[in-house]
This record gives sequence, C-alpha cells and structure tokens, in this order.
Amino acid sequence: MDLAAPHLGFVLAAYGLTLLVLGGLVLWLRHRSRTLAAALQQLEAAGAPRRRPIAEAP
Amino acid sequence: MQQFANPRRFLKLIDAVEPWAWALTLILLAIGLYLSLVVAPEDYQQGETVRIMFVHVPAAWMALLAYLDMAVASAVAIIFRHPLADIAAKAAAPIGACFTFLALATGSLWGKPMWGTWWVWDARLTSMFVLLLLYLGYIAIWHAIDDPGRAARIAAIVALVGCINLPIIKFSVDWWNTLHQPASVFRIGGPTLHPAILTPLLVMGAAYLALFVTLHLTAIRAEIMARRLRQMELARADEV
Repeated sequence: MDLAAPHLGFVLAAYGLTLLVLGGLVLWLRHRSRTLAAALQQLEAAGAPRRRPIAEAP
Repeated sequence: MQQFANPRRFLKLIDAVEPWAWALTLILLAIGLYLSLVVAPEDYQQGETVRIMFVHVPAAWMALLAYLDMAVASAVAIIFRHPLADIAAKAAAPIGACFTFLALATGSLWGKPMWGTWWVWDARLTSMFVLLLLYLGYIAIWHAIDDPGRAARIAAIVALVGCINLPIIKFSVDWWNTLHQPASVFRIGGPTLHPAILTPLLVMGAAYLALFVTLHLTAIRAEIMARRLRQMELARADEV
C-alpha cells in the first residue's frame, strides 16, 4: 500500500470505522452474555424456581 | 432440526462450536486483511481507494444474508412454531443492522473521492438505506412490546414483508439507471474482477461470513439466557 497515495485518509477511515463498529458489536455481545450469565447464577443461587407454576383450572 | 428445539441442548452445541468459530474467524480475517492491505495491487482508475471495497462489499453481502436469515427464521417461527426460531431471528437483527450501517458508511467513504459526493439517492443506495430502516423497525418492535409472544409474531410479519426489499437491492442496478456500478461477482457469466482483486474480496467475504455466524451464535445464547432470566424473575415474583 502506497502511504503517500491521495485519498488514503478515506481508506484508513473505512477500515477504522469497520474495526470500531464490529469491535463494538463483539464487546457488546460478550458483555451482554456475561451480565446475563451472572444474573442467572445469582437467581439460581438464591433458589429461584426455573418456571412459573401452571395456574390451576377454575 | 427438532433435536435442537431444546434450548439447553442448543446451548451445549454453541459452547462446543464457539471457540472453533472464533479461531476460524480470526484466521480468515488475518489472511483477508493481509491480502487486502498488502498483497492486492492498487486499481488503475481508483488507486488505493479500491481497498475500501474489501470491507464495503462483504459488509453489504452480510447485510443481505442476515436479513435473509432473519426472514427464514421468522417463517419457521410462524409455520412450525420452532421454539428457537424467533430467538434466532431476533438475535440476527442487531448484527445485520451493523453490517448494513457499515456497507452504507464505507460506501459513502468510497463515494466521496470516486463520485465526488458522499451520497446520492440512487436505487441501490436508497434500497440499502430502506434495509437499515427495516432492521431498526424490527428491533424497535421487540423493544416496544412487553409480551415476547406477541412481539415475535408482529416482528416476524414485518421481517417477511420486508423481504421484498432483498431482490430490489440485488437487481436495482439492473432495473434502474444507477450511479452504483452493476454486479461484478455474483452474476450470470461469472465475476468480471481480476483474480488479484477477486481473491482478497472472497477471503474477506469468508471472514465476514465466519464472523456473522460466530456473532449470531453468541447473540442466540444471550437471548436464550435473557428469556430464562425473565421466566425466573416472573416465577419469583409469583412466589412473593
């Protein structure tokens, strides 16, 4: 790649933006997974039931 | 397919596949970036700007693929009531929206030096913008409706109706006189690109595909956990 080429800023901006958006997406998904797993573990440790009881017929 | 209707079994499958999927994604991305930034020659007309194509075109492919995935999963949810189908559809939406945004933004960064403008309302660009709005609308429906069953039905119908935009995007460059260039890879008669440009493009396409599959699996797992958490919170609230 010619580092003195005209419009190189546009190329770098395109790759930088791609890295930013896809990196952000990866981080967000991993953070969400970890947060949810921790919340689930906390509820299970507290002895919360897994399902709502089925309502009895009147 | 029915054997994976059990979310617990599906989670086990994701746990087993995910590390390999990440490894494959990173290897393909490393090779793809090397070919795109180091090996590929500059274009005789576009110069170095041609390198934007290696991140722009695969993003556009994944934008369409993610929507197709969402629509097929929505159809499966409506027709077969497969318990994981609406989860898969919902999980694909933010990933597809990101790829669509990237296709539009990197296309704009290519358009300014090549066309002399950031944006034109031609058929290809406008239909891609409509695709972004469809993704955002689909995500908004899930956030706006509290009952997941009702949200899933309405979102599935929106996803299926929005499918009409996919052939419009693909054939817009043939049906209308657009500034955007016609298809040069997936076309009858084969690709028109020189192998020196086509090879990095296809490797980056494979890397983006691996990334999409990996992110989709991660998002499906998160969505399964979110639903389990909601069920447990409701069950605990019933007890109190």
